[in-house]
Parts: sequence; C-alpha cells; structure tokens
Amino acid sequence: MTHWIDLKSSADCIQDGMTIAIGGMTLYRRPVAWTQALLRRASRPRDLTLLAFTAGYECDLLVGAGVIRTIRSCYFGLEAFGLAPMFTHKAAHGELRILEETETSLVLGLRAAISGVPFMPSQAWIGTDLPRLRPDVQTVTDPYTGQTLTAFPAIPVDVAVIHALAADSAGNVLINTNLGIDPELVYAADRVIVTVERVVEKLEKSVDGLLIPGAGVDMIAIAPNGAAPTSCYPDYPLRGSILLDYIEACNRGDFEKYLIDFLDEPR
Amino acid sequence: MKTDFDITLDEWICVCISRQVIDGEVLAQGINTPLVMAGFILAKLTHAPRIRFASAIGQSVCDDWGPLGVGRIEEVWLSKGLFHAGFATATAELLPKYNPKEFFRPAQIDAAGNTNNIAFGRDYQRPRMRLPGTGGIPDVTPYSDHIYLYVPRHSPVTFVERVDFISGLGHRADRQRGSGPRYLVSDLGQFDWDQGQMRLISYHPHTTIEQIQRKTGFPLLIASDIHATPAPTPDEIRLLREVIDPLDVRKLETLSGSARKDLLRSILEREHAL
Repeated sequence: MTHWIDLKSSADCIQDGMTIAIGGMTLYRRPVAWTQALLRRASRPRDLTLLAFTAGYECDLLVGAGVIRTIRSCYFGLEAFGLAPMFTHKAAHGELRILEETETSLVLGLRAAISGVPFMPSQAWIGTDLPRLRPDVQTVTDPYTGQTLTAFPAIPVDVAVIHALAADSAGNVLINTNLGIDPELVYAADRVIVTVERVVEKLEKSVDGLLIPGAGVDMIAIAPNGAAPTSCYPDYPLRGSILLDYIEACNRGDFEKYLIDFLDEPR
Repeated sequence: MKTDFDITLDEWICVCISRQVIDGEVLAQGINTPLVMAGFILAKLTHAPRIRFASAIGQSVCDDWGPLGVGRIEEVWLSKGLFHAGFATATAELLPKYNPKEFFRPAQIDAAGNTNNIAFGRDYQRPRMRLPGTGGIPDVTPYSDHIYLYVPRHSPVTFVERVDFISGLGHRADRQRGSGPRYLVSDLGQFDWDQGQMRLISYHPHTTIEQIQRKTGFPLLIASDIHATPAPTPDEIRLLREVIDPLDVRKLETLSGSARKDLLRSILEREHAL
C-alpha cells in the first residue's frame, strides 16, 4: 500500500547507517526538495552510504553537510559546470570512504540484489587497478571455460528516493524517459520514496514516460518544483545560475553559508 | 595550406573525430563530451549518413540529432530517442549488442594507452586531486578492440610516464581479450599504437613534431609517413559553426578559467536555462 506522506515525514524515516539511493541522472530529475527536507531535520542522520549511478548537485550537498560516510557512484560531478566541489574536497582529505564503482559494478550489483543471488559475473575490470582498489570484490573461475571473471557482489539498498512528474490516486507514478537506473532502484530498495510534481486522478500510458506501478512505491510526497535546480523534463530545464552560484560559494569556502540559505529556501 | 578562416583547436579535434567514423556504425554519445558529439554529427552530415547514436542521456538509440547544448541538451536526446532503455539495460545489454564506438577523455595516459580517470596522486585515500570517476571505462576496455580517445589540451600532465591508477586497460601482452586503444586525437596531433607503443601519425599545422614530443611525458614513436593533418574543408567548418554547434558548446572543452566561465554563462543565457 502506498502511503501519502508529507516531505518532512518521508525524510524522517532515514536512520543512521542506512544506504540511500538517489534517483535521476547527473543534473536531471534529482530529488532536490527531498534532500532539503532531509537536511532540515533537527537531528540529521549520520554515516549514510550514498548510492547514485551518477551523483550531482544534491549528492554534493549531502556530502558537504557531513551526513555521508560512504560513496558508491561511477561519476560524481556537475557535467559542463565542473567538479562537484564538496566531494572533490572531502575525497582529497580522506574524509570519505569511496567504494570505487563503475557502470557495470553498480548495475550487476543491483541486479544481483534484485535476483537474490550473491553476485553477478562479468568481464569488466580484469587487468585494471579496480580490483586492487576494491579488495572486497573477488573473482570467480568460469566452470565451463576456466576463464577468470569478476564477481560483482549484490548491493543492498535500504531506501530509494526518486523524483517523478506525477502520481495518480492509485499511487502509480510517471517518470520521464531519462530513466537512469530508477526502475532497478524500485526493484532493489527495501523502501521506495517518490516525490512528485503533481497528483492527477488517473495516469495514462505514455510513450514519453514510464509508469511505475503503485505496487512498488511505498511513500509518495508532493514536491512541486522538487528537482530544481536540476531539470524535470518536460516541465522545466536545469537552472544554470544556481549551479554556478553553488560552485562559486564552495570555492570561496562558503559552503556552510550556502547550505543555511538553501535550507531556508521555500519551494 | 592557406585558408581564409582561422581553424580553432576544437575544430581540428572535431574534424579528426568525424574522419574516424565509418558509415553505418553505432556511436556512443557520452555525457559532457561536446567535441565528440560535434565530430559524430559532422560525420553524419558529410560521409556517414547512416550512423546511429547510443546516447547516455536518455539511454537511447537515435537516428536523429540536434544542435549541441548544455541546459537543453537533455531535450535533444529525449525527443530523438527511438526507445529508452534505462542505464541498467544500456550497460548490460545495449552496449554488448551494439558495441558502439566511443571516444573517452583520459585524465592521464601512458605510452601503452593505459588511462586514469580516478585521481591524481598514488595515495588512493588522500589523492592530490580526486576526479569524478570512471563511468564504464574499466568495464569495456578489458575486452573492447575499438577504444578511441581524445585529449582537448595536450600536456605532460595528461601524457605521463606512468598513470597513477589504471582505470582504462591499454596494450598489454597479458590481456585476455580486446586490444587497447586504436586511436587518439589531441589539439596537437593524431596518434595510433604500433606494437603497443603510442605513435604520432600526424601533427596539426599549428605545431611541430618537436613541440608535441616536448609536451608528452614519454618518448613517442614517429610514423614513417608522418605528415601534417589534412586541413578541415570550408564546408566542415561551416557545418560545425552554423549548423551543428552555433552556441560554441564544443569550445567548453578547450577553454579554461574565466573565458570558459563566460562562455558557459552565455550558452545558458541563450538557451534560457540560466
């Protein structure tokens, strides 16, 4: 059953040490309003593991605010805007635990978790330094040919947070076609929180979007403009000036001040 | 050759990328790699009309294209996609099926074509500089035999004796499959690999073999038929400037500092995405 919930309550269910997965792609359809709600909590969670196929602005805010201990992502940056400043700073100072990931390690790790098997075999990483940086990732021998393969371990996800275009009264949810790994996050996560731009009576099938059945959605919170300054196609494009201002504030050493202003912003 | 227009560094790179494209193949459009996007579209508009794009934005296969952008680039790929696979299916199924040609941009590269996009500095816990990450480079380089590379600003910071981390696998005798990179273009010249060693095959006319060697942190092989890179045609330059990339997005990869910042702001303004 889907619970209709306010944004604040949806953020209250995050507990210390959880793995939270952030939906969307780099600067597209990220749950920024939800990030704000999480960081507005009087008692912020600690030692979270952040899973994001690609991590951007909202993930950098979480890292800067100090709630993240471990990063699992294959790209952490702001595309044409540049490096993600707080991730870059903290990683260079040894303040983050980075589990070096790639597209394949994340995808097969999630697929293993979804399928209920301990690992998925792959040709990826063989010969590179990745196995040295990830000593927890083992190899297996193909019983048929004797070939060495990488055994990507299942990635458990406690909570996935996805921003969507709309929900309907039955709890079905519509996302646009920049899917990222959102469908897999719905399958893999123990709990799925979706924030939506709006609620409609009944969602129709669309070639420009993907319907996620309400059966896979645990909580829905309404958050108009909830992805800004990242985009929410076709509703709004990214807001470049906000991203530029963020980078400049961090480069001046003003992250804390930026965060206070960000948390004060009405949405 | 005397031309009546100044060819800029980004345009040398785009044109060289375009000329590596074979008609009919599938090409991977990465995220934030506008020199590659411009070069691929140039190929489609000149000698390779039947190429297709596998786009990271929207995780789709597209026959069509649109002009380059920053704030509105998502719209191009979402509106042109024949279907949208999502990144899990794209990684695990689409890429193995179509085996698209892709140009990666290494932060460091050695003579054997091993590349690094993890961090500068060998201390993984406290690197000199952490980089955004490797995407799918460690996944495909162990088995692919058509890895292509580009470097927008050729310098000894990028071309190094030894990479700090190997995230892209180069030419190695002990590899199980694949071949290491086939080709590299920088703002100075074009390169391939001869028996596992990087080799200069052409220099852009604004530089010399000696200058390229000075800006490379290891000894380069020089091809026996070394020559100046054939100049872009007026039509290629016109297509790049007027049709493919009127906003000059491709120049974001070759500019730095305040010039780059000003260009980015102006692009976003013209896109109404500031």
